Amino acid sequence: MASVSVEAVRKRYGALEVIHGIDIKIPDGEFVVLVGPSGCGKSTLLRMIAGLEEISGGVVRIGDKVVNEVPSKDRDIAMVFQNYALYPHMTVRENMGFSLKLRKAERGVIAERVKKASQILGLDPYLERYPKQLSGGQRQRVAMGRAIVRNPQVFLFDEPLSNLDAKLRVQMRTEIKALHQQLKTTSIYVTHDQIEAMTMADRIVVMHDGIVEQIGSPLELYEQPANLFVAGFIGSPAINLIHGKLRRDGTRNWVATDAGVDLPLDGNAAGQDGQPVVYGIRPEHLAPSDSSGLPVTVSVVEPTGASTFVYADLSGAQICGVFAEHHGIHPGNRMNFMPRLDRVHLFDAGTGKRLAG
Amino acid sequence: MVSLAQDVASSHRSGRMSAEATWGLIMLLPYIAIFLTFVLYPVGYGIWLGTDIKAYHRIFDDPIFLRTLANTVIFLGLAVNIKLLLALLLSGFFVHERRWIRWLSFIFILPWAIPSIPTILSFRWMLNAEWGMINSLIFQFTFQDGPGWLLNRVYGLGSIITIHIWKYLPFWTLILVAARLTISKDLYESADVDGASGLQKFLYITFPGVRNMYITSTLLSTIWTLGDFNSIYLLTGGGPADSTQVLATLGIRYAFGMSEVRAGVATIIVALPFMVPIVVLMVKRLRGEDR
Amino acid sequence: MSPRKAFDEARLMLVGVLILIWTLIPIYHLFVMSITPQAEAFAGAVWPKSPTLDNYTTVLTQGHYFLGHFWQQLFNSAMVAVAVAVLTLTVGACASFAISRLRVRIGETVSNLALLTYLIPAAFLAIPMYATMGQYGLLGSRWSLILTMVTFASPYAIWMLRQYADKLPYELDEAARIDGASPIQIFWLIYLPLMMPSMVAIGTYALLLAWNEYLYAFLLLSADTEITLSVALGHFLSTDDAPWNLLMATGIIYALPPAAIYYAFRRYMVAGLTAGAVKS
Repeated sequence: MASVSVEAVRKRYGALEVIHGIDIKIPDGEFVVLVGPSGCGKSTLLRMIAGLEEISGGVVRIGDKVVNEVPSKDRDIAMVFQNYALYPHMTVRENMGFSLKLRKAERGVIAERVKKASQILGLDPYLERYPKQLSGGQRQRVAMGRAIVRNPQVFLFDEPLSNLDAKLRVQMRTEIKALHQQLKTTSIYVTHDQIEAMTMADRIVVMHDGIVEQIGSPLELYEQPANLFVAGFIGSPAINLIHGKLRRDGTRNWVATDAGVDLPLDGNAAGQDGQPVVYGIRPEHLAPSDSSGLPVTVSVVEPTGASTFVYADLSGAQICGVFAEHHGIHPGNRMNFMPRLDRVHLFDAGTGKRLAG
Repeated sequence: MVSLAQDVASSHRSGRMSAEATWGLIMLLPYIAIFLTFVLYPVGYGIWLGTDIKAYHRIFDDPIFLRTLANTVIFLGLAVNIKLLLALLLSGFFVHERRWIRWLSFIFILPWAIPSIPTILSFRWMLNAEWGMINSLIFQFTFQDGPGWLLNRVYGLGSIITIHIWKYLPFWTLILVAARLTISKDLYESADVDGASGLQKFLYITFPGVRNMYITSTLLSTIWTLGDFNSIYLLTGGGPADSTQVLATLGIRYAFGMSEVRAGVATIIVALPFMVPIVVLMVKRLRGEDR
Repeated sequence: MSPRKAFDEARLMLVGVLILIWTLIPIYHLFVMSITPQAEAFAGAVWPKSPTLDNYTTVLTQGHYFLGHFWQQLFNSAMVAVAVAVLTLTVGACASFAISRLRVRIGETVSNLALLTYLIPAAFLAIPMYATMGQYGLLGSRWSLILTMVTFASPYAIWMLRQYADKLPYELDEAARIDGASPIQIFWLIYLPLMMPSMVAIGTYALLLAWNEYLYAFLLLSADTEITLSVALGHFLSTDDAPWNLLMATGIIYALPPAAIYYAFRRYMVAGLTAGAVKS
């Protein structure tokens, strides 16, 4: 096991630069998720760490060793691919033992390691089957088994769950997490699904357009998003963002929208009077209220059972609230959404950066 | 070869990529060697041989050559088009799902699957004016002597075209059957619902569906038919009196029968202005669809 | 069955019978002549009065002037065909792997050149190829024929194998690289096993191409002990009173192996041809 360090890494295809200098330090044993919309460079970064793409600039270290020029096979890493990349002409056993066989491990050692991995993953009954005879979830496990028999320094996962159906995805998510807690191998996991990132990661790296937007634990990202992009990317349903101007009159602070609505803030909000800002409040931090708060007209109500999503119009702005109870809300109702003031995020409208406070 | 140098250079520059680039070059080497020694060099040598203007005077002064040009055009025009039209029609027959049609298709492919020498020679003997089976049948039924099939230019070319079609029809039928099978059955069903006749279905569904393949096949078949040596050489030998030669056989006849190598090469080169555009077009078509 | 359906069915049958007759006539004649005794060879009969297998005996015992080296020539044909198949597969597998999997930079150029070569009719290269072989000192040797046929078979091999190779997911190679495989190990342990079906098709194609070749065999080889059976068949035509019945018996023996091989690997061949030879 080893730490991984990405230092000022760039990727260029000819004149086109797709990764603009990225720094990430991953301590030994951590489970890091690279998340971002498609095209943000997360897979490219992972593939550079894997040695499948040349590194155009900067340095990648595994342990203390710079691996820029080290071939994949000598980096002591294992990778799980989106489409599993199981060798179709080999049985599950052969697939899992392949890397050890290439490394000229003894037959006994291979058998033992494969057995151990297959027990961990519940693949014992399928060892003699070929990949095409397995279900999606089983293939996924074989792909992981192939990674763990090696006992590598680092696990790399490239969107490993995106080919599975929703139910299986949730199950495998838990299994991978549990596996990591058991093996404690440094893991780098790429996904575009922020829920996967939130549930699995020790730390999340949010990427966008070839740069890192923020690195932090899931709760840090949720509670202290560094900018509008992270605020909008993390959380489901997405955070409500309303443009306005910051106002302070000495006794209290608020944000005045162009439509003339005043959005409440608590006393210690940062920023200057008149500054254009974006007011962010997550749907789950709004509460229904009869008298105080933001006056809205309900447009759509979506009961999911556990909670109810209420989409409403706030003087022309669409906002969403998530409530634990149904409260008998119907489209057309006029009501108030009361924001939890300690959960309000303020961002500079120009830079998109979070206003400290 | 510039990119070859770049490859080598890049393999020196980056240690990591080197294993792959190096192995890639090593594994391409056998074909590159074959290409250089047995394609590029002979072609270059042939072109050099073909730079002799006198050879062109020689062949264009030869009435045999001019007749051969005409024969080649006739052979290409008739053999290619009749063959592909028949293939298009027969592909409509072979797409029917019947057990006996499957069995028939096994037999139908025979002419293409077995070597052409025995079958062409068999055809040749069958057409023999005095002792062949065809004329002996004609005599039995009409008490008249049949024509000298291979002893006359028109019958000779007709026989050549027939055996060529016999040999290659199965292959092109197979190709067009495959093209027809890519057309969705839904189209035919919806046409049935709309009350289309068989002819209308062919015109509005089948032909548009296979048109691209039909054009590709015509081009490819034109090139290959131009290079068909066996059908002519083994059936009529270009005779009688060189009246059924085509460019492919006449070139060989000049070079090896009459030891006029340059005239032989010139004969082939005359076909290039016609052939090269088709080849280039084909490369584009095949590659374009590959991307 | 409705009358209309019955009529359609009958029409299909009629077409089927016509196709059958058309296809079988030269083959039937070939067979009939091969069992016709010498005395009846010039009768033009639809079926011989006294059919015989003597012709085959004569061929197999090399009992005629034209057949003095029958077994040697049969061996030559087989040897050339097998050598061409093996070499073509080697060249094609290596090149397609380099182009499609290792993605060598000059791969596309080589691939285009191969496609171009594939489209040139072989007969058009006959004269310069003959001269070239003379310069290389290979004229008269079976190697000249083998190398020529590899030259003409490998472009198609590369073209078709590449089409199949491009369909294999590239992640397999990446997974193997991470698992610790060198390029050559990927070739042996991943690429070749997965390419087996198309390799069978290409091997069959090259084998048949070489076995069936007449023009180049006839130009490049001359000694009776070096020529292939196809050339030996052509030699029968050098006299006016050729023993056609023996020629036809030899022809049938010559035609049987490729037909058998074709039908044995038909499944692979048809898939390969329709997918690779001409794409729509």
